[in-house]
Amino acid sequence: MALKVFSIPALPRVNNGAARMLPVATMLAAAVISVLPLQIPGYAALTPIFTLMAAYHWTIYRPDLLPPVALFAVGLTEDLLAGSPIGVNALLLLLTRMAVLGYRRYFVNRMFAFVWSGFALLTGVAAVGLWVTHCVLNLTLLDFRNTVIRGALTVAVFPLASFLLGRVQRAVMGAG
Amino acid sequence: MIRLSPQMRTAIQRTTLPVLVLLSGAIVVLGKADQLVFDSLRIAVSDAVAPVLDAAAQPLNAVGAVVDHAKMAVATYRENVRLEAENQRLLQWQQTALNLAADNKQLRGLLKAVPENALSYVTARVVANSGGAFVRMILINAGTDDHVSRGQAVMTGEGLVGRLTEVGERAARVLLITDLNSRIPVTVERSHAAAVLAGDNSERPRLLYLSAGDGAKAGDRIVTSGEGGVFPPGLPVGVVASIDGAGARVEPYVELSQLGYVLVADYGLSRSLPQPLPVLARPNRRSKTDADEPNLR
Repeated sequence: MALKVFSIPALPRVNNGAARMLPVATMLAAAVISVLPLQIPGYAALTPIFTLMAAYHWTIYRPDLLPPVALFAVGLTEDLLAGSPIGVNALLLLLTRMAVLGYRRYFVNRMFAFVWSGFALLTGVAAVGLWVTHCVLNLTLLDFRNTVIRGALTVAVFPLASFLLGRVQRAVMGAG
Repeated sequence: MIRLSPQMRTAIQRTTLPVLVLLSGAIVVLGKADQLVFDSLRIAVSDAVAPVLDAAAQPLNAVGAVVDHAKMAVATYRENVRLEAENQRLLQWQQTALNLAADNKQLRGLLKAVPENALSYVTARVVANSGGAFVRMILINAGTDDHVSRGQAVMTGEGLVGRLTEVGERAARVLLITDLNSRIPVTVERSHAAAVLAGDNSERPRLLYLSAGDGAKAGDRIVTSGEGGVFPPGLPVGVVASIDGAGARVEPYVELSQLGYVLVADYGLSRSLPQPLPVLARPNRRSKTDADEPNLR
């Protein structure tokens, strides 16, 4: 049952069960990676938003294999793992899909720099949105510097994440 | 599987996303309004994922060890000189401590003072931290199976790390002293001024409600005061690092971003922490322990 909604540009069918699970699996891996206790001073506060990278990548290249329900589940899992206010990450990932899905045809098969700047824009909005949400939830003005650095780190790490995700995608699903 | 017409299927696909967005928003609000609703879910997830995180964190510790080795190799000579000096000083302190301990024992004998609660420690490994700028928590691989319970103090050899807020069977979550929601009654050791150590997600928590008088000076040792009965008095917390118009900031003794192993200390005090009650406290939702334990709120 291939989905017709996303057929511009046409997505090749993937019948292999393991390959169909790939986007969700990488999302879960991203959630786990983001809570790993790397013993680098100050790292915990500045951890890049790994799930955002994966959500952006898959929403552009294989939105059919990363349905909203999966984004919702991964977002909730990440909130539960990290101990952050529940639902915030789920909301972030779903809104990411909402924002990116409409424009994905402009990103597929384009220069990487273009995809990257799209991600930078998304991260900027997401980081500020997260900051505002947490300020409201805690009813205090939180330090904005960490948010800026974290956003910059997220954008800086994206090329590597995108390269790895692309390689895995090609290896498991074939060209597409 | 139920067969759906193509129109129906498209309609469902179109509506899932907005519906889920609304649902997430509702969960955010609900989770904020009643913090306890998702507690058991949180604990269940922590319990289930702890072994995975534990395995994943193993190589990281190895990486940390390699970094440490490299640092050591570079700084060995200087470190050695420093350690020898420190050793000299510590040996003197050891003598002093032994003398004091002997004195103390005699004096306690004279006073018939009640001996301090026997401590028990559980050593646990940090398996996850809260990635992100907005929460300061860690997950450790010890739970009720290891006889740790909610409210217990978490420390390292250097000082206080935080306290246990959620405890599952195999994993428990620690609220660090730097978290926005952490409030710990402390005293300034020199002046005995009472204060509350309040985290604000920065590296250095603030001292609130510093009692009038001498107050705090940069370099003062901050220890727990034992007020409120959650922590015993005298646990080392940190030193006053800076004082500005807004108040004093405390540099924790423990490097909180580089935690590998922590100690969960049982002082037999955690029962005094009020057990969480649902916001709408209906009699049938109260657990049995509330009935035979005084609620201190």
